Amino acid sequence: MSEAATHPRSLFWLARQESRLSWRDLVWLMTAGYRWRTRSVVIWLAIVAIVMHLIAYGMVARYAAVDLTGGIAALTAISGSIGLAFFLMLSQALEQVTRLFYGRGDLDLLKSAPVSLRRVLGLRVLSVATSTCAMTVFVAGPFINVLTVQGGPRWLCGYGVAIAAGLAASGIALVLTSALFDLMGARRTRLAAQIVAAVIGSAFIIAIQVVAIISIGTMSQSAFFHSEGVIAHAPGLDSPLWLPARAILGDPLPLLAVLLIGIGMFIVPVLLLAGRLGDYAMAAASADMALGRGTRAGLTSIFLGRFRATGGAALLRRKEWVLLLRDPWLASQSLMQLLYLIPPAIFLWRSYGETQGALIVLAPVLTMAAGQLGGGLAWLAVSGEDAPDLIATAPITERRMILAKVQSVLLAIMLVFAPFLIAMAARSLEIAGVVVLGIALAASSSTLIQVWFRSQAKRRYFRRRQTSSRIATFAEAFSSVAWAGSAAIAASGSWVAIGPTVIALMVLAGAWIIRPK
Amino acid sequence: MIVREIDSNRDGGEASSALAVEGLRKVFQRPAVDGLDLRIRRGEFYALLGPNGAGKTTTLRMVAGLMKPDAGSVSIFGIDALAQPTAAKQITAWVSDEPMIYDKLTPLEYLAFVAGLWGVDPKLAETNARDLLRWLELSPNADERCEGFSKGMRQKVALAGALVHDPKLIILDEPLTGLDARAARLVKDVLLEKVRLGCTVIMTTHILEVAERMAERIGVISRGKLIAEGTLDELRHLAGSKLGDTSLEDVFLTLVADGEPAE
Repeated sequence: MSEAATHPRSLFWLARQESRLSWRDLVWLMTAGYRWRTRSVVIWLAIVAIVMHLIAYGMVARYAAVDLTGGIAALTAISGSIGLAFFLMLSQALEQVTRLFYGRGDLDLLKSAPVSLRRVLGLRVLSVATSTCAMTVFVAGPFINVLTVQGGPRWLCGYGVAIAAGLAASGIALVLTSALFDLMGARRTRLAAQIVAAVIGSAFIIAIQVVAIISIGTMSQSAFFHSEGVIAHAPGLDSPLWLPARAILGDPLPLLAVLLIGIGMFIVPVLLLAGRLGDYAMAAASADMALGRGTRAGLTSIFLGRFRATGGAALLRRKEWVLLLRDPWLASQSLMQLLYLIPPAIFLWRSYGETQGALIVLAPVLTMAAGQLGGGLAWLAVSGEDAPDLIATAPITERRMILAKVQSVLLAIMLVFAPFLIAMAARSLEIAGVVVLGIALAASSSTLIQVWFRSQAKRRYFRRRQTSSRIATFAEAFSSVAWAGSAAIAASGSWVAIGPTVIALMVLAGAWIIRPK
Repeated sequence: MIVREIDSNRDGGEASSALAVEGLRKVFQRPAVDGLDLRIRRGEFYALLGPNGAGKTTTLRMVAGLMKPDAGSVSIFGIDALAQPTAAKQITAWVSDEPMIYDKLTPLEYLAFVAGLWGVDPKLAETNARDLLRWLELSPNADERCEGFSKGMRQKVALAGALVHDPKLIILDEPLTGLDARAARLVKDVLLEKVRLGCTVIMTTHILEVAERMAERIGVISRGKLIAEGTLDELRHLAGSKLGDTSLEDVFLTLVADGEPAE
């Protein structure tokens, strides 16, 4: 290697530094900073890879023979899947590009160093694209591998499409972030970008579900893409809209076109915006310094009243609600899951007056959502305590403190789901009763798991909570799924609901046994 | 090692002590606090000094109820803090070097919340809060959220939180770290005034000049043990007459060097 390439401040030297930081960040994300976890993470990854390949086999093996002769129906279904994946990638890329400007870590050092900030930030945008592509390949890989083994090497073109999509998503994310900086200013861009990222991540699936409910009366995306209406209104086979789908099916020319488009959509914005990246970083740093300066108490003090000595538990509940409502980022992150309740709400509204079948469909959706929301809110209340010393030195027992925090979570959840429950109760008291029970059990289970596996952290690390305890994350997910299954079966009036209920209880018992002592 | 102590029990037993610590022990990989005995009189300003990793913070965290000792006892105004933690916490306040406050609350709201936790009457709490904020020159920011505050302002809010419920024992771990001269002076004045009003203060600090000027007695801790204790003059005497009328820094360095095991 030439001396110029390895010379400090050269592009290669900076790239090597960037890739080392990215790699260590990835390792930290997986091991939560514990070196001893490296071996178990490798084992976990291997297990996850095997499980994902098995899941992929169950889901797509039967489609391995699909090719271009499948016509519009095949192209529609594949394009739907690509659309879903692309919006998720765009959401992830947007978050990463935003973090690039606001992550204070080493940016102050780099800004004060005699290196080109434009070059450093350009490299970081490239690393965003690399990680977006890597994540897509990691998730899509098992499906592509299964299809390749079953249907031939033409399916390997899927990797090319995944990489092109990752590059395009990163380019679009850069354009969106730049537009937000120009439109809203550095102070508001971070929050706006995080909300936009969350909305984009859920927009496609929600939009498809809403259109499916309105057009064919189902929440199933698969049924929607295979419906006669969609196929009848789809463009012709020669439409450029089908290029990614044709590329996945192994058509070489569309693959080349998709790759060129992806590379172009990444390189053009980087070249056009490179000169402004440094300005954005500077503006973000200034905005960070002025963050919150002079912000008043706001409306929450009117809605939630003032802090008074009404008992430690009431004070702690009020404190949790005030802190959540006053933190738009946290509120958006935790309550964004409520966006997924839009399709069920529309489904409930559309099916009002029809059979009780619609209500039964909603039972697991609401129960699952309550479990997930409960986990997030419980983490904030129990682990995400910003003044742990204050609470620990207050004359209130730990038991009362935990109980107050759990109450604050459950009351918030009941408030969120109340409109659904009231609407359901008007149609069927029995099913509404089952759903109330499902929501309460799912949310309580997630909350209990968070209490058992609590580990003190700053609230701003909310997004990284899942890395601190994978056992808690899996236990929370499994218990929510089990309670959702139980609610669905119980709502249909079957005693078989006892099965998933036992599974949920076993998950809870298992979590309790292996909880950190 | 011989603990060199000057008349530490001269005021009698536990009943007259604000804080009595006996045989306190905490082991991580190695003993962080190793059979520590400490007795602080009521209304006394006591400074705990020691090199990095000597066990000062661990000791104070155990006293404040933030950490459970492996052995030993802690008595606060005659209350067994390990058996009756809630009763002990009711009369104690804790301030650490890293101010832990809620960014999304205003100082007034934060103080109302803390006062509520300690069960202070709301009217009295509001009066106390406003007095403290005025005292600490935070009145203009009383209704602003803490998220934009500097380190010094946050530390002052944390200190006000510690004082709003009128504690009898204030435990401070490096409370002046990162404060500018004016903020540090304010904090010192507030603490001295509290002692004048009968409060007991135990504080760790790396700023020896602060200990020299504020503390009535100074304890020197090394490797988890109390190696010396007394007034500045008494410590000078302990460190050896050769030092004469010298500064606490010289005394401290001599005592700590003497306390280290021979190579």
